[in-house]
Amino acid sequence: MVARWHTRLAGVILRRMHSLDLDRESAEWVRSLTAGGEAHRSAVARLHALLLRVARGEAARRRATLPSRGMEEVDDLCVQSANDALVAVLAKLDTFRGTARFTTWACKFVILDVSSALRRHAWRHRKVELDDAVWDRLPDTAPPALQDLQNAELLDILRRAVREQLTEHQRLVFQSVTMEGVPIDVLAERLGSTRGAIYKALHDARGKLRQVLADAGYEEIVA
Amino acid sequence: MTDMPLRALLGSSDRDPGCDAGLDVIDVYCDAVDRGEPLSDRFREFLSHLANCEACREDTEALLAAIRDQKKDESAG
Repeated sequence: MVARWHTRLAGVILRRMHSLDLDRESAEWVRSLTAGGEAHRSAVARLHALLLRVARGEAARRRATLPSRGMEEVDDLCVQSANDALVAVLAKLDTFRGTARFTTWACKFVILDVSSALRRHAWRHRKVELDDAVWDRLPDTAPPALQDLQNAELLDILRRAVREQLTEHQRLVFQSVTMEGVPIDVLAERLGSTRGAIYKALHDARGKLRQVLADAGYEEIVA
Repeated sequence: MTDMPLRALLGSSDRDPGCDAGLDVIDVYCDAVDRGEPLSDRFREFLSHLANCEACREDTEALLAAIRDQKKDESAG
């Protein structure tokens, strides 16, 4: 039953592949991943090795941002991300359009997974909450984005607009992301939401604030 | 005061398709960067999103680093 399903799926993918303009290497990956027997097993093993190498490479690149405690868990995260990405790539193979090289397309899955996992790992012991005191810590301990805001009037308008024009959810998202540096996928996880939905809330909040500043005569600098 | 800090806080008013649409083209964009192709017209909205979204910027840099590492591995091996 499974073998028959695999054969049918492989036929669909191969027919699609012939209608796409794939580079030689990408075509070879798709052909071997949709083949049966040893060729398939070998291609899956090579793909998993590639995804794991990429995950570990990204963890090494981010080492400085990760807490020194808990480093032993980082490799587990890499293995988990490689496993999940492999499953996703195989499940979505029939959606590969060849607009990027196969390896770049496949690596996207593991990068998105492991980056998000590492950001959540880095923040796992840190609280995320609405903290209006962040405005009072200006300018000494504010993030660089705010330290340079020297115009007291503009800052005052901005602070009032955040308080009065944004919904509580937008205020939490805006202050957490732009003023406290909380990654949007960490915020999404804590709020039981998605990265796309959190970004939409941030985008809408920023739009409201830009409009307030434009109405106050700062249209040139928020254009 | 310059507009740079404000840009970091408030983003730009250019059309921004958001994370989900951006992540759909991140692989195509990274291959185009790797091949040295012109980017500004073809990826205008994605570039505008990258300017506004730190997580997507990080993920794009990560995928570009992975492409560079693969090339190094290929030339070494």
